[in-house]
Amino acid sequence: MTGEAIVVDNVSRVFGGLKAVDGASLKLARGETVAIVGPNGAGKSTLIQLISGVDRADSGTIHVDGVRTDHLPPDRIARLGVGRSFQTSRVFPALTVWDSVLVGVQAGLIETRSGRLIDPVTESAGALLGLPFWRRRVAAQEAAAEAALKLFGDRLWPRRDQPALGLSYANRRRLEIARLLAAEPRYLLLDEPSAGMNPTETEELTHLILDLRRTHPDMGILVIEHKLSMVRRIADRVVVLNQGRVLIEDKPDHALDHPEVVEAYLGRARSGANFQDAHHG
Amino acid sequence: MELFLSQILNGLAIGQVYALIALGFSLVFGVANIINFAQGALFMLGAFIAYSAIAWFGLPLVPAAAVSVVIVAILGLLLERIALRPLIGAPYVAPFLSTLAISTIIDQSAEIVWSPESQPFPASISSTTFFIGNAYITVTDLVIFGFGAAATVALTLFVSFTWTGRALRATAQDASAAAQLGIRTDVMRQIAFGLAGALGALSGILVALYFQSVFPQMGIPFGLKGFAAALLGGLASIPGAVVGGLLLGIGETLASAYVGDSYRDAIAFTLLLLMLLVRPNGLLGGGRLDALGGAGAAAGAMPTTSLLASSSSQQSALRAYYLPPWGFLAVGAAFALVPLVVSSTYVLQALIYGFIFALLSASTSLVSGSVGILSIGQAAFFGVGAYAVGVFARPYGLPADATLAIAIGLTALVAVVAAIPLLKLTGHTAALGTLAIGQIGFLVFLNWVSVTRGPMGILNIPHPVLELLGGLRFATTEQKYWLVLGFAAVALVIAERYVSSPIGRVWRAIREDRLAALAAGLPVRRYILLAFAVSGALAGLAGGLFAYVQQVVSPESFTVETSILVLTMAVLGGLGNLTGAALAGFALAILPEFLRGFAEWRMIVYGLLLLVALRVRPQGLLGAR
Ligand SMILES: Nc1ncnc2c1ncn2[C@@H]1O[C@H](COP(=O)(O)OP(=O)(O)O)[C@@H](O)[C@H]1O
Ligand SMILES: [Mg+2]
Repeated sequence: MTGEAIVVDNVSRVFGGLKAVDGASLKLARGETVAIVGPNGAGKSTLIQLISGVDRADSGTIHVDGVRTDHLPPDRIARLGVGRSFQTSRVFPALTVWDSVLVGVQAGLIETRSGRLIDPVTESAGALLGLPFWRRRVAAQEAAAEAALKLFGDRLWPRRDQPALGLSYANRRRLEIARLLAAEPRYLLLDEPSAGMNPTETEELTHLILDLRRTHPDMGILVIEHKLSMVRRIADRVVVLNQGRVLIEDKPDHALDHPEVVEAYLGRARSGANFQDAHHG
Repeated sequence: MELFLSQILNGLAIGQVYALIALGFSLVFGVANIINFAQGALFMLGAFIAYSAIAWFGLPLVPAAAVSVVIVAILGLLLERIALRPLIGAPYVAPFLSTLAISTIIDQSAEIVWSPESQPFPASISSTTFFIGNAYITVTDLVIFGFGAAATVALTLFVSFTWTGRALRATAQDASAAAQLGIRTDVMRQIAFGLAGALGALSGILVALYFQSVFPQMGIPFGLKGFAAALLGGLASIPGAVVGGLLLGIGETLASAYVGDSYRDAIAFTLLLLMLLVRPNGLLGGGRLDALGGAGAAAGAMPTTSLLASSSSQQSALRAYYLPPWGFLAVGAAFALVPLVVSSTYVLQALIYGFIFALLSASTSLVSGSVGILSIGQAAFFGVGAYAVGVFARPYGLPADATLAIAIGLTALVAVVAAIPLLKLTGHTAALGTLAIGQIGFLVFLNWVSVTRGPMGILNIPHPVLELLGGLRFATTEQKYWLVLGFAAVALVIAERYVSSPIGRVWRAIREDRLAALAAGLPVRRYILLAFAVSGALAGLAGGLFAYVQQVVSPESFTVETSILVLTMAVLGGLGNLTGAALAGFALAILPEFLRGFAEWRMIVYGLLLLVALRVRPQGLLGAR
């Protein structure tokens, strides 16, 4: 049941009586792209919180490449190669774009090949004295950061010396994704990456993800996404979540056109705000 | 057993008073989402205004108390108006620092008005003692407990059953929803501050009756205990504050009965730190605190200690001006020439203190600015360094290389251990934790007589000798000037290297968004501890040099006033900007040396400076980094 994948098994998370995630199971293998869809409050974001260790499951297990992670702190899980974005993007407001991306590669800088962390004294010595071994590491990380920023064309690279707090909403999302990609994660978990983007920008993002699938054939991508046209183009599989449970898991066309899904998901959304534009939840 | 029971009864009385102070914190935190550092100052004013009404105007206790409560309630309103209202939408650290500035101004003014000495409180309640079995309780205890409990019940009824009270609670739960319901949330904020003032005054008077004395420095320790009680109860809960206050009162009374009265406060503050370590959300904790991964974090609501980002406005990029690491050497080299042209030992002495405070201010800026944990306890680290030299220099006859190395290493170690309870905290809560550390440090210096010689201090510290430089001796003021300058310049170079290295970048990332830093795979705690180690090393070095320059080490150099002074320097220079910190530290340290007679007013002026700076230039002189 483990192997090269994120495996979520029968996981639940209760918030004071409300079952946000209710016995959900899910598998994300490397190399595949899975989309999670579902109405607001279905528990999609909570699922990412649990996988990334930012929140703790009340029951169930989560494994990443065979390592049980449901009791590990978020930084350990991230160092296993799990990169995640936040629904409300979290950038480091006062840091420049360039510095923000470098923060993304810092964990790689202090990690040895065996996965242990360099001790603070060695790290201090390396950083303060500019020792050759350290400079080589830094140069490699900076190259990764530059490549990640340039994935977004001229959206971020020309703004690399601006502080993140001055960026537009869409650019903040891009910066967050660039920061994740710079770390070369094995798994990329994106929480509504296209929220707040206009159709052109959404199209750009779709292409970016399609490109990533090509350039990083070993990366597993999990996307929470409301824009179904995008989901149909990028996802190998779709997981429909409703009230914390997996309603259906299938190929995009099958899953999205399933009568139960249309009923549970669109039926509710149509009576409320325009579903296509739902960003919050 | 009788003693035990009597202590519990006694502890309940003082605990009820702590509960009242705690309620002041809780109300303001609930409604305005800030920790009002000046709560202790309001408390102290309450006691002193009652004191004056009795001692100067001959009023009986009850009317005097009523006058005091009314006046301090109005001062609470004013506090909101002057210190906080202008800062709505300012960076998250600004309102807290603003209450800190006000608190400093009030405390220092009180020392001028009422003298810094402790004075007997001119009213007392009957000292009759009741026996319950073999346990005893005094009438004073009963009256204090009764008043405290009555005030708590009245407050509870008020917030539960009156319209205003309900509006207060609604604002505390969700200010924007409350505003939509037509509640004037700004008025609610004012009411919360007014009530906090009234509660502060009442508790101040009760404490004055309990201990039968008043002194201007009482605000900070009691404020901190009230905060501890509030935190114990979950910070935003009224029953929580009461339970927290009672527990703290009992714990502290028992501890002082069995361990010794001089450790009463140290034990209370240690309890606070232990609390922060194991249950940062309090015993009855609601999810309001920002423990990592809690409810607020999931919703993206964890407050950032970002120096630029603020709740409403998005200020544009601000420039920061700072020296490259070698710049400190260049400045140091220029200063090294001064003794060649200036022969006045008076001037050189002033410059030496300037260098020491530049170092200390930079050490404060490093944790407060780069990592975003405002340090109000830096004097403790300064003191550890000074005492290390004091203890090891003469009796062991160690050269300065060795003693300074001990000062640096020991202080770094102490700082790391002290920081452990702070790891789960961010924002204002962590700042109060550092205040507790500072207070514990001072109390240890004062009471650990076998090592520190207590209030006497350690005298006759020998002149420094550097064994590594062939036994070079620094005996004259000029020689000490070069010694201090050399060490300060090199230390600042190293500190600046840290801040501008990838490590410094991680520190700033942690400050800006700790959760995102964790999600980026960074071992956040390790980096915070490293920051405290570096900051502690700098402060320890400053302390060691200070000891050699003064040739005397005594506790009064390491009070909370020193901590607030260096934090003020760090803020005025631009938080996180070591050049700014060093410049402000240097300037503010030498200024009073040249303006004699100004000593009493110094902290007031600095407090005002801080208050004004927060309004007009929160990023500091050279820009926050
Ligand atoms: N930290 C939290 N505390 C309390 N309730 C929460 C928390 N996080 C999420 N919830 C609740 O859990 C449910 C699922 O939320 P979420 O996972 O954010 O849904 P979505 O599918 O829209 O991303 C919602 O009802 C939400 O209100
Ligand atoms: Mg969501």
